[in-house]
Order: sequence, then structure tokens, then C-alpha cells
Amino acid sequence: MVPRFALAFSHQVSYQALRRRMPALLEARRLRKTYGGRVLLDGVDLRLAGETVTTLGGPSGTGKTTLLRILGLLSDPDEGQLLLDGVNLHSVIPHAARRRIALVAQAPVMFPGTVLDNVRTGPRLAGEELPEATARALVVRAGLPPELLRQDAQSLSGGEKLRVAVARSLALRPEAWLLDEPTAALDAERADLIVRLLRELAAEGAAILVVTHDARALEQLEGPHFQLSSGRLVEGRPLSGDAS
Amino acid sequence: MSYVSVSLPQLLLSLGLMAMAIAISSHNRLGLERDLAIGTVRAAVQLFAVGLLLTFVFQNEHPTTVFGVTAVMVVVGGWTAARRIAHGPGTAVLFRHATLAVLVAGVVVLVPVFAFVIRPPRWYEARLVIPISGMILSNAMNGVALVFERVFASINEDAAGVEQLLSLGATPKQAVERHVRAAMNAALRPTINALLTVGLVALPGMMTGQIVSGTAPDQAVRYQLVIMYQLVAVAAVAGALAARFARALSFDEREQLRTFPDPRVR
Ligand SMILES: Nc1ncnc2c1ncn2[C@@H]1O[C@H](COP(=O)(O)OP(=O)(O)OP(=O)(O)O)[C@@H](O)[C@H]1O
Ligand SMILES: [Mg+2]
Repeated sequence: MVPRFALAFSHQVSYQALRRRMPALLEARRLRKTYGGRVLLDGVDLRLAGETVTTLGGPSGTGKTTLLRILGLLSDPDEGQLLLDGVNLHSVIPHAARRRIALVAQAPVMFPGTVLDNVRTGPRLAGEELPEATARALVVRAGLPPELLRQDAQSLSGGEKLRVAVARSLALRPEAWLLDEPTAALDAERADLIVRLLRELAAEGAAILVVTHDARALEQLEGPHFQLSSGRLVEGRPLSGDAS
Repeated sequence: MSYVSVSLPQLLLSLGLMAMAIAISSHNRLGLERDLAIGTVRAAVQLFAVGLLLTFVFQNEHPTTVFGVTAVMVVVGGWTAARRIAHGPGTAVLFRHATLAVLVAGVVVLVPVFAFVIRPPRWYEARLVIPISGMILSNAMNGVALVFERVFASINEDAAGVEQLLSLGATPKQAVERHVRAAMNAALRPTINALLTVGLVALPGMMTGQIVSGTAPDQAVRYQLVIMYQLVAVAAVAGALAARFARALSFDEREQLRTFPDPRVR
């Protein structure tokens, strides 16, 4: 019942959000990152094109989260460059650039306050007040019942927190999305909803990278797939059934 | 002026008080005897040394000696405030910032009071400048220490939350605002509490001292009030500066949160 309601609602929201824009392009060139002598990224080239959902897999501890953090400008590579729509992100004010790149962590932290407060955070940081109706629409679009708006965000389940984090980022209408195992804490139905949302966002022009081991999600997201292995990205889908 | 002096033999008698505490510790197996014994001797050595120093400074009252002593207080205060701060950039870096915070706060609060409120006959009057500066600077030191301790610990604890805010486009200032505010609040709390309860439970040390040495209570009260207001102001200024420094030290020039290894792991 929730997903159908969400769908009905999402069309309303999309009045504003669905305006297509120039497809975004987030590029990483020759990224290198080491931690304590261990090479995690060894010259990684990645081109995240708008209108595309790229997926990333690879064994635990190979540096997928590290790569997302670098792409999300939370950590600097030792070497290499990042470009958003052709502009070198090193020459851009970091906090302005980060607004354009959503980073949804694997276990997102909720800020103190209600779900509504959380969804309003991004615009508020820029001095704008998100109308409650818009916040409600975003929450629904992220797959949560609108009644949750007044609930204390800290009290939510892991899966709900993840969807609040998605709604929180939606409020900024970012050009690029980086998601770290977004379906891991969700049941199949909610996972499908997130996957559908990602496809919608891509259709609107966003460049999306999803780290995932979820075979079902991988099946539904037909964009390019990479495996991170020994510091390099290898293109190609894993054999079915391999969810390591 | 009815000044009652304490002779050395009389002072020795007061050691009986420490003997009492040591006896209690030993009877209840608190294991504090050693610390108490060391503390007894240390306090005596430190205070007599300070007494000798003050006697010297009073006898050679000169801007250089008076401000030399004050400068030492600033540096020692800065060093003490910078020590043992977990999850910070280390004592060496913090020391510079702490000293600057103590210095600026001290100057901002002390100079106007000496210039307009207390107005000593000579502007380098040791008997006023040194004890009052000592009280004010040590409160600045406490404020800085509290802010450093709190800010770095709470940012470290909430690193994921701070980065989440950065991700949503927060400036470094916005990303740690909550932590900085809490730390400054904590830094001011003790002084504000002292302000609220002064005279109700205990008389403040300086006022007690003045009354014991013969000053009229109403004058002692006025001095004490000036000092208390100074203590509040200095804690606020020092805390605000320390918060600014701590915030700046927590991010790199790319507005990324810096992490500091736990000193126990280092
Ligand atoms: N700040 C850091 N300092 C030191 N080592 C780090 C740091 N961040 C990550 N690492 C190390 O880098 C390696 C890769 O971590 P990362 O989280 O990127 O892996 P991952 O591919 O996302 O793994 P998983 O699938 O388990 O989430 C790990 O061994 C981790 O300990
Ligand atoms: Mg990871």
C-alpha cells in the first residue's frame, strides 16, 4: 500500500523535480589512494555519465567506500583528479561542490530532531526553508510513509534512516548520486522502490554510482558494472549467484 | 589594620591536619597516603617558592619583573590547557593556540579593569597586578582546556554526523556548530555557577584573604565583584577563541574533517 501511495505522490513532486536538465558528468582520473602503505586505489579512472546508473562491486575491504568518499569530496586522493561537468573540483569551493553530489552512506547518521528537520537540513544550510509539503513529498518519494515526518529521526530503523538520508539528499536536487549499499538494510519491496527511484533520478539526468552486492538490484540496474579489485576497476558483471 | 601573623612553629602545627587525612586514608585503606604525603610537601615547596618569588618581585617592583611573571603565567597556562587533549592535533600545535587564547583573553579583560576600575597607584603595582592576573589567567586557562577537550572529543565521536553535514553542503563552521556551542557552554558553566552561588555556601578565596588580613568587608566585596565579572568575561573570551582555533584545526584547507589518531594508539 505504501509504495502505491508513494508512486501517486511522486508524480506531484515530480512536477518540479522531473524537469530534465543537462545530463551530469562526474569523472575521476587516475585516482590513487593508499592507507599505511596499502594501495587501495591504484590509478582508478571512472566516468559517471548522467542518465546512467553505474554499479560497483568487489570484495569487502577493497576500497569501495573509500572511492565513494573521494568522489563525494570527503577525502582527498593522494593523486588524481575529479571533474564535474568538465570543471576540476579541486578549484571549486568544496562545500558548494558537495551540494551537487549526494553521498548516501551505508549507515547514515540522523541529525537530532524529527525526520522533517533532517529533510530540511540541506536547504537550511544554504539559508533556505523547505516547505513542509515539499519535505513530505520527498519523504514519500524516498519510500517512507508521510506520517513519519514528525517522528524523532534517531528512533528509526536502519532501513528507514537510509530512506530519510535519500530524502535529505533529494532536497538538494543533486546532479550526482553516490550510494553505499543502499538496499542492504531493506526488504525486497523497499529495495525495489529505491532502485526505481534511482532509475527515475537517472532519467532526469543525474549521474549515479551505487555500491551494491544485491543481485536483485544489480539485475534491475542495467547500467555499466565495475568490480574493484587490487586497486583497479574491472568492467563486467559478476557471474550470477556471486554476491561476495 | 589588624594583621595576625603565623609563625613557622605554628605553621608546623597545621601539619597535624594532613596527619589526620593520612590516618583516615590508612584506616579506610583508601591507598591515598602516598599522594597525601607527596601533596603535603609539594604544596609547601611550591607555595614557598612562589612566596620567595613574590617577595623578590615586590622588592624589585619594575615593569620588567612584574610583566615577566605575568608572561610566565600565560605560557604555563597555555601549556597546561594544551596538555592531554585526546583526539586533537597534539600538544605542540595546541600549545601555540592555547597560549594565544589565554594571552588575548587576559589582555582584553585585565587591561581595561586596571585602567578604569581598580586603577593602581602605579600601573605595574605588583601586589595588585600579579595576584589578580593570576586568578584571571588561570580561569582563561580552564576555559581553553575545557573547550579543547570537549570540541575535539565530541567532533571525534560524531565524525560521521559532521561528514554527513559536509556532504549536504555545510561549511566547516556549520558542520561543527553544535559541538562548538556545547563546548563553549561547558566552558562558561563553572564560572556562571560560581557567580550564582557566591557568598551562599562559601566566601571566595580572595575576599576571605582580604578580610583575614584586615580589609573592610565592603571593600573586599567590591573587589570580589570586579574579579568575578572579570572571571566570567575572561572565560567567555578565552572559550570563544579556543573554539575558533579548535574548529580551524579540525578541518584541512579542502574543508575536509581531519582525524587525529588516538594518542594511545599513536
Ligand atoms: N581513514 C582510514 N585510515 C586508515 N585506513 C582506512 C581508512 N579508511 C579506510 N581504511 C582502510 O581501507 C580499506 C578499505 O576500506 P573501505 O571501507 O573502502 O572498503 P570497502 O570496499 O567499502 O569494504 P566493505 O565492502 O566491507 O564496505 C580497509 O582495510 C580500511 O581499514
Ligand atoms: Mg564499504
